[in-house]
Formats: sequence, C-alpha cells, structure tokens
Amino acid sequence: MGDGVGAVFAALADPSRRYLVERLAHLGSSTPTELASELPMTRQAVAKHLAALEHAGLVRARREGRQTVYRPDPAPLRDATAWMDRVGVEWDARLEALARHAAGREPA
Amino acid sequence: MEIEREIVLPVPREEAWEALTEPERLEEWFANDVELDVVPGGEGVFEWDNGEVRHAIVESVEELERLVLRWDDAGRVELELTEHPAGTLVRVRETAPEWGIALDLHASAAWATA
Repeated sequence: MGDGVGAVFAALADPSRRYLVERLAHLGSSTPTELASELPMTRQAVAKHLAALEHAGLVRARREGRQTVYRPDPAPLRDATAWMDRVGVEWDARLEALARHAAGREPA
Repeated sequence: MEIEREIVLPVPREEAWEALTEPERLEEWFANDVELDVVPGGEGVFEWDNGEVRHAIVESVEELERLVLRWDDAGRVELELTEHPAGTLVRVRETAPEWGIALDLHASAAWATA
C-alpha cells in the first residue's frame, strides 16, 4: 500500500474526522469555528482534526482574513479506489496463472 | 468492503490445497519467491521480481478448506476451497478494514462533486 493511501485510511479511521469530512462535503467549505458550533467539540479539537485531514490531502485550507476556510478534496479517495482496482487486477492475473498451472498438471 | 474472486481448478481438493499452501507451488502463480509456514501464527514472505516484498502472518488454517493470511501493511486474504463438479472452487477475499469508510465517502454525491 502506498503511503498516500495509508495516510488516507489512517485519517479516516477516526469517527470525528470522518464526520468533519462529510460535513465539509455537504457544506462545500467551512471554518473550525463554524464546525465546532455544531459539534460537541472545541474549536481547538476541530482545528487539530482538520490539520490531520489536511496532512492526508483530504481537505485544503485557505486563509481568508482572520479565518482559515477548509474545503474537501476528493482526490486522495480516488487514489484509494485506484488502489482497490489494482488489487482486483492483481488477483485476476494470479488466479489465471494458478488455473494455467493446475490445468497443466491435470492427467491427460 | 472486500475484493472477491473465484476460479474453478480442474483438480481434486488435495491438489488445490497444495497449490495454495506449498511455497514451491505458490511460486508458480502467486509470487516469484515464497516462504510460508502454514501453521497458525506462521510467517510468510512473498517476493516479486519487481522488488516488491510483502510479509504476512497465518491467521488460521483449516486443512483442505481455508487459509487466512494477514498482511503486515494492511488487510487480510482469505483463501477458501469447496467441492465443485468440475474440480475445486477457489474463492479469494482480500479485505482492508478501512476500505468501507473511504468508499462510502467517495460514493456520496456531495463529496464526488465537491
């Protein structure tokens, strides 16, 4: 597994972070203050989770005046699904080789 | 979320089991260089010619029926054998615990168009 995909899964393993990503996807963009107002979490805790999500590439931060505005970025999830596709293709190739060898051993 | 594949091998179950568990047989189809100790807790090392190396631990073994490996990086592979009129059915399931989460999010319309 690539580091990028591992970081995505690690970031999403936390339920609070999953919720934040879903909220951002729904809202389009938001700030730690706004997100904290609708969650049983402090602004500081929200900011910490958003920093972890930003590190994984799942959200992007932009400074707007005194606020930091966060937007979701779906690109890393596309990497994750691409990784899954690759695992499927790998198994197709392996099982084809397995069948070929098994048929070769079959008594005539 | 899991990836599942099936294939029917035209061989008896004993022979299919050997193909899934004996290192020299695994080298025919799974990886280029294989070490595998088929006992619960046994270690597996799979090396490919492109330099990729993956380590696994045998999670469980049911002779002629089921072998479960846990990768040290992520996920789990379950290999299952069942009788089939044309020989032996091999079913492979590869899972990683967090896939479901990533895909659920990916599937959300709001997220996809964000």
